[in-house]
Amino acid sequence: MEILTGNELMSGATVYLDRDGRWVEELQAARVFLKEEAEARDAALAATKKTLRVVSLEVETVTLRDGLIYPDRIRERIRAEGPTAPRFDRQHLDEDGHVSI
Amino acid sequence: MYRYDEFDAAFVKERTAQFSDQVARRLTGELNEDQFRPLRLMNGLYLQLHAYMLRIAVPYGTMNSRQMHMLAHIARTYDRGYGHFTTRQNIQFNWPKLRDIPKILEDLASVEMHAIQTSGNCIRNITTDQFAGATADEIIDPRPVAEILRQWSSLHPEFSYLPRKFKIAMTGSPSDRAAIRFHDIGLQATTNDLGEIGWQVWVGGGLGRTPMIAKMISGFVPHEHLLAYLESVLRVYNRYGRRDNKYKARIKILVHEEGIDSIRQQVDEEFAHVKGGVLHLPQAELDRITKYFAEPDYALVNEGHVDVAREKILNPPYGRWLEHNLHGHRQPGYVSVTVSLKPVGGAPGDATDTQIDVVADLAERFSHDELRVTHEQNLVLPHVKITDLPAIYAKLVEHGLAEGNAGQITDMICCPGLDFCALANARSIPLAQEISRKFGSPERQAEIGDLKIKISGCINACGHHHVAHIGILGVEKKGTELYQITVGGDATEQAAIGDILGHGFVVEDVPDAIERLVDAYIARRESPAETFIDAFRRIGKEPFKEALYGNA
Repeated sequence: MEILTGNELMSGATVYLDRDGRWVEELQAARVFLKEEAEARDAALAATKKTLRVVSLEVETVTLRDGLIYPDRIRERIRAEGPTAPRFDRQHLDEDGHVSI
Repeated sequence: MYRYDEFDAAFVKERTAQFSDQVARRLTGELNEDQFRPLRLMNGLYLQLHAYMLRIAVPYGTMNSRQMHMLAHIARTYDRGYGHFTTRQNIQFNWPKLRDIPKILEDLASVEMHAIQTSGNCIRNITTDQFAGATADEIIDPRPVAEILRQWSSLHPEFSYLPRKFKIAMTGSPSDRAAIRFHDIGLQATTNDLGEIGWQVWVGGGLGRTPMIAKMISGFVPHEHLLAYLESVLRVYNRYGRRDNKYKARIKILVHEEGIDSIRQQVDEEFAHVKGGVLHLPQAELDRITKYFAEPDYALVNEGHVDVAREKILNPPYGRWLEHNLHGHRQPGYVSVTVSLKPVGGAPGDATDTQIDVVADLAERFSHDELRVTHEQNLVLPHVKITDLPAIYAKLVEHGLAEGNAGQITDMICCPGLDFCALANARSIPLAQEISRKFGSPERQAEIGDLKIKISGCINACGHHHVAHIGILGVEKKGTELYQITVGGDATEQAAIGDILGHGFVVEDVPDAIERLVDAYIARRESPAETFIDAFRRIGKEPFKEALYGNA
């Protein structure tokens, strides 16, 4: 299983593509692409690139644990939550930072 | 301190305007990310895990209070109220927003600072001894030549697209406090048979995935020919450096593969063409720049001694601070003071906006308006009257900056690691905090003595783990952060690369592993005066390997 993630252009905030085609802050809102949905995943990537508003686009592998999305890489788990030490809240989107495809 | 001339002011202003326009065009979509990325990197703007990161150059680690106050202002206004001082004597801000970058650069330009060439395959900020121009053991103050190198390397058209980044460090003292043998070029002041002062040139040092100790390419280059000589080295590198493979593109690989004799021959051939040309440095110009670094107007003071033993009895924390955080000054009655950014349990190198302001105020009031950033991620007040030490200490205590641990086990170098860095494989800061807490008691630190721990969160080695007495390298293996431990590295003139002792440890086991190494050292040292690194040189790595892994 995979999700799409990147950083929003203006704030640099970590964002995820949700089921409605919006780039949002919450990992748990991310659309999970199954293996057979590679075409839809690639179409979403292409549509996102056209917006020019989400950078460092990545396809990340995840598993579901108790119904929650759990990224395979430690890096992605830290990206989702913010730095662990010193503990800081993650970066948030500005009011005009919301992007849809 | 150096002040911008018309050329400096103009190019920083032009670059700020140029990048502001590029940001505006990126925000409107006129530029896409592929076009914008190299432009933002040229201006020190990275995109890290959680946000943008802006790296600001502190030329040869020297600032005045006005510049330091501006960093506090930036931290407070555009970031989250703190900054992170780095091993390149720079400062990084971890949370700026893209639309604020032009305003930040304008603010920086107003105090003669910028973020140019803090990224990219160009000549980066020149670093030097944090005690330059103050220390008693110096042959020459390296800052005037560092400033000339800054001017030569800034926007150098031929060296803006080198095979890889290029770092130069220099020291005016035989005691290397700038790790010059681990830079692409290291410069060490020396004298020739006639007693003239010039520069030893070392080339091909570096850390990263292939650590190398630099080799001496010239034993003496006079000031007047230094620019021409360095231009010759850079030309040979620019011509033959491995552009085909990013991991083999640093000059250390070229020197290693070609051999220092071959590189020296090619540099000498180039030097024969360049020498005496436009890069000739007239003594008058060196004298002109040197005037900017004239000695401060020192007071004539009688008191020339700090009674550390007495103070350790009367006020132990103050005594420890005096014992560890002072460095001898060339001027009687003066010392240089290290302001530790390593509070026990803190994030190494971080300072809040208030702390930055406080150090700026102290520099203005007590250190002839000068301060320094060290490559070990601390700050220095270079010119302090001994009689002012109590007042300075009191202010530092008030603001959590009075840790008396310079050079001790809790004075660690630590990269940002996986908590911030897009390249990292493992976290560094939480591990540094745990080690700091474990060894933080004054009694334990006093028992251990001088010991340098350095932590990197990936093989790029920004935390200098290769040259630590005890080095820690974070890696990721099957989704778990593991930490390899090395011993015996040394960043000084006795340059050495640490040896890996064995398999890695999970994070919760690392502090205990460090303790076993420390205990092995204490059990085997000849006396408390024999430091960890001296004991390692005498007994080798086997006792330490046994301490970690047993006899198996």
